[in-house]
Amino acid sequence: MMDKALEVLERRLSRQLAASLETCVRCGICADSCHYYLADPRPEHVPAYRAELLRRIYRRHHDPVGRLFPGLVRARELDDELAEELIKSAYGTCTMCRRCVLNCPMGVDNGLIVRTARGMLAALGRVPKGLQDTVDVHLESGNNMAVSEEDFVETLEWLEEQLQDEVDDPEARIPVNQAGARVLYTLNPREAKYYPLTILAAAKVFYAAGESWTLSTRAWDVTNYALFNGDDEAAREIAGWLAQEAAELGVEEVVMAECGHGFRAFRWEGENWLGRSYAAPVRGFVELVAEYIRTGRIKLDPAQNPEPVTYHDPCNQARNGGILEEPRYILKHAVADFREMHPHGRENFCCGGGGGMMAMGEFAEGRLAAGRVKAEQIRATGAKVVATSCHNCLDQITELSKHYDLGIKVLNLCEVVAEAIILPGDRQ
Amino acid sequence: MPEIEYKGQKIEVDEDGFIQDPSLWNEELAEYLAKTEGIEELTEDHWKVIRFLNEYYHEYGIAPMIRKLCKETGFKLKYIYELFPSGPAKGACKIAGLPKPTGCV
Repeated sequence: MMDKALEVLERRLSRQLAASLETCVRCGICADSCHYYLADPRPEHVPAYRAELLRRIYRRHHDPVGRLFPGLVRARELDDELAEELIKSAYGTCTMCRRCVLNCPMGVDNGLIVRTARGMLAALGRVPKGLQDTVDVHLESGNNMAVSEEDFVETLEWLEEQLQDEVDDPEARIPVNQAGARVLYTLNPREAKYYPLTILAAAKVFYAAGESWTLSTRAWDVTNYALFNGDDEAAREIAGWLAQEAAELGVEEVVMAECGHGFRAFRWEGENWLGRSYAAPVRGFVELVAEYIRTGRIKLDPAQNPEPVTYHDPCNQARNGGILEEPRYILKHAVADFREMHPHGRENFCCGGGGGMMAMGEFAEGRLAAGRVKAEQIRATGAKVVATSCHNCLDQITELSKHYDLGIKVLNLCEVVAEAIILPGDRQ
Repeated sequence: MPEIEYKGQKIEVDEDGFIQDPSLWNEELAEYLAKTEGIEELTEDHWKVIRFLNEYYHEYGIAPMIRKLCKETGFKLKYIYELFPSGPAKGACKIAGLPKPTGCV
């Protein structure tokens, strides 16, 4: 019955995973790097403890002693009880933010261990429902909110009219399916479905920069929740659609909308899942905007954003994605009073909403409790606005503001930039 | 699964407070759910949004695009966000008895 899960473990047993499973020296440094442990210091919240659940299964099948006398090395067969423990641990108390990886003297990748455990549970059909539904809807409809092509196009046309009003130019466009455009841009379905102002903001930035860009009606979803449920087959299929569309449109680059996990999944994992290189390179929207500012393609007036602003680094864009300097460069040009939280950048704490946690209501209580670390970081800055670069972080921080009474507003970077943009007409 | 106690009846909700059985929804329940979202009194404009969401869901089995919501109610986007401070997905859809949407919400 558990064979499918064990097959996943065998198939994914790379050098990196094997080394991570073999080399923990139980020093416990990882405990203090985890927001779950800091908010509620229980043994189950120590990253090494979570990893130990998978290590026991690994030892049962790979340790010479574990195979013969499992009890001697605390090896354990995967059974129903252990699977239940794994669900609570791998899905319920870890956002795969990988802060503990950075702080491990042995370089153990607990994020990889937890994702492997999730992949094993996925093979058993035991992914928490809200998370699995999101992957299923994506596979069935082409985007994770089942937005139909007709609805998508109608929404973009409506936004195009608003863009024309906003920039006072009847020629302003939100281009769709333009072969040969320089940039293929992507969207988070929630932008089209519920929160279209970020689409408008991004379109305004592209307009001001005079960019040659397009959206696609065939493959436009920036997300890939299979990074979270651990199912590599699904992850490969989803990444493949966008890769193929970029090749068919012949664009020079794919630009991922502000979405932490979507950026990491497509930029850093997709080619490995697919086993081939992309036709066009991939960048995050923030990287492109920083370039626009550096090269003078857009001009910003920081006085338009007078309130104190701090920045929350999405784990999958910063620590796990390498985008560290660009958001700061942008904010220093776009707002009058930028304040760092501490720690930040590579060492930033997860907001608590990562790893698909927002889609798993059953773990909401622990998610909000673990978010206390982030709430305290934000409060200490005295900022009135938290800018971030991920819709998931945005929702979690908005909930934290309510729960911990922070009295802040949370915005994506594109909105902050769009507010500060000086359009060519304004300069005259 | 958590439950809310409403007029002596126990109704199952998920951990985010979305009711599990859309057929149990009625306007009095909507008033109760609105309070859990920090809306003390539902105005006629709230009702216009809520009724449209509920009817659309029963016809198509999915929540409408915000574009459709604006078009049908004649309300500006910003006004809808003002009416439902937790947003159209977590606020308005919950009060209108829709299930929790998939994706990043």
